[in-house]
Amino acid sequence: MFIGFTLVLVLSCLVHLELTKVNVLNEVQANILWWEFRFPRLVSALVAGAGLSLSGLLMQNLFRNPMAGPYVLGINSGASLATALLMMGGFTFVSSNLGLVGSALLGAMLAATFMLFVSWRIQQTTSLLLVGLMFASFTGSIESVLQSWAAPEEVKQFFLWNMGSLQQLTAQQAPWLIAIFGVAVIWSLLLVKALNAFVLGQEQAFQLGVRIKTVRFSILAITAILAGSVTAYCGPIAFVGLAIPNLGRQLLRTQDHLHLILFCLFFGAFFLLACDVFSLLLEPYFSLPINVLTSLIGAPYIAYLVLRRS
Amino acid sequence: MIRFQHTEIGYHRPLLAIEDLHLQTGKVYALLGLNGSGKSTLLKTLAAQITVLSGNLLINDFKVEELAQNANLRAQQIAFVSSRFEGVEHLSVADYVGLGRIPYASIFGKLTADERQLVHDTLEKLGLSYLSEKRTLEISDGERQMVSLARAFVQDTPVLLLDEPASFLDFLNREQLLRTLIPWAMHTNRCVVLSSHDLDLCIEHDLPLLLLAQQKLNVVQGLSKRDVQQLLIEKA
Repeated sequence: MFIGFTLVLVLSCLVHLELTKVNVLNEVQANILWWEFRFPRLVSALVAGAGLSLSGLLMQNLFRNPMAGPYVLGINSGASLATALLMMGGFTFVSSNLGLVGSALLGAMLAATFMLFVSWRIQQTTSLLLVGLMFASFTGSIESVLQSWAAPEEVKQFFLWNMGSLQQLTAQQAPWLIAIFGVAVIWSLLLVKALNAFVLGQEQAFQLGVRIKTVRFSILAITAILAGSVTAYCGPIAFVGLAIPNLGRQLLRTQDHLHLILFCLFFGAFFLLACDVFSLLLEPYFSLPINVLTSLIGAPYIAYLVLRRS
Repeated sequence: MIRFQHTEIGYHRPLLAIEDLHLQTGKVYALLGLNGSGKSTLLKTLAAQITVLSGNLLINDFKVEELAQNANLRAQQIAFVSSRFEGVEHLSVADYVGLGRIPYASIFGKLTADERQLVHDTLEKLGLSYLSEKRTLEISDGERQMVSLARAFVQDTPVLLLDEPASFLDFLNREQLLRTLIPWAMHTNRCVVLSSHDLDLCIEHDLPLLLLAQQKLNVVQGLSKRDVQQLLIEKA
């Protein structure tokens, strides 16, 4: 099955590359276009899709709640707020690339820890999601306050980032994103056994020989690293992290997290790539931000899941 | 197998003090006590979830503190079935029972052919083969309780702790539970402790009883129902 997945993924990469091709005069220009535009965009789509799906899977496992995900639980909001503070709050001392990623990571990490504390106190799904929603709207209003102070070009920069885009990654940043992603994937593969046990709740996982504290910290760290770095480079992208793991469980009918992780990596990458292919196809007529597309497909699917459940 | 030496047990405050007590291998002990007498606290202490306040508690010659620290050792010594398993979406019964092998599994948690056979045989022994491919959410509370027992068997530990394993079972399955547990404990040298409110069942099978009352734990066997009830409600 994974051979089939790989083939489909490679095929869609080729389609994507074909669509981003532009007629140019010479080899040098073609080369520049490849490194500065086509390659980073492809990497963005693959890593963002796979990374967000994986972080969603881990969140859903930790919270034992299929409606958890980096977006609804406010991980993105944390990253977004930190980025807003950086771009518009005048904290220019860290305005390098590393500063951007670092602050988004920190924001994501803080938000993840905050939500974990909240989830200990609140067991109910709806309440937890409401807290996530409140958190998002709270960070949103702080961002608005910042916008009213900031210079117009700073506001524009933040606004563009906030739309979510696969075209912001530069050729210099791409290797960083790939490296961070690689570490997170390997780390989560090391957790497969613990993730399978966590499905039964933390008490049972403890009795099955899982180091609860270590694993809990690892899941939060991986999620924050993935969601934080993707959000830093591509802006907040909605619904991928929520929808893809649910689709995986529904299609594979399993709780074996080795299979689920692989599914999330392959299908998440494919999904965002397909969304981008779609937006490239539509580009001659009008341009759609990637966030709009993922929400158009993701939101109805999640609504369907919720309806089916109740 | 399980040895208490001047052990004080409780969450932060002492709830129970046990001077000197030895639970032997090959037996199924029934832990009885009124609501709030500390049955769950005692079971969780035996499961290494709660630390002892003072004194010693040895489980298969390992200090319980060591088992609390060493995750893998703990899972290979003690299996614990909580009173309720609510089922997990998309998790099949066979996969659920297979999770009992996690303490022995390689990095990705894949079961070997032998282990899959063990899961199959255990389900068959308990008369649960028909559930094997069902999802854990689709089956009844009682079936989930039996299936949890299967998972604990598969974990293959010297000590087995069961928190009210019969609460959702019908009378047939209650019989089945004890008819499986008692010979299993005897022939494979396990020590089983189960908490229960079903006094009749425990007495009928002549289980050694651990009576939890007035912050003391006493072992009795062969008493009548009336005597046991008297001991449980007696004021100090």
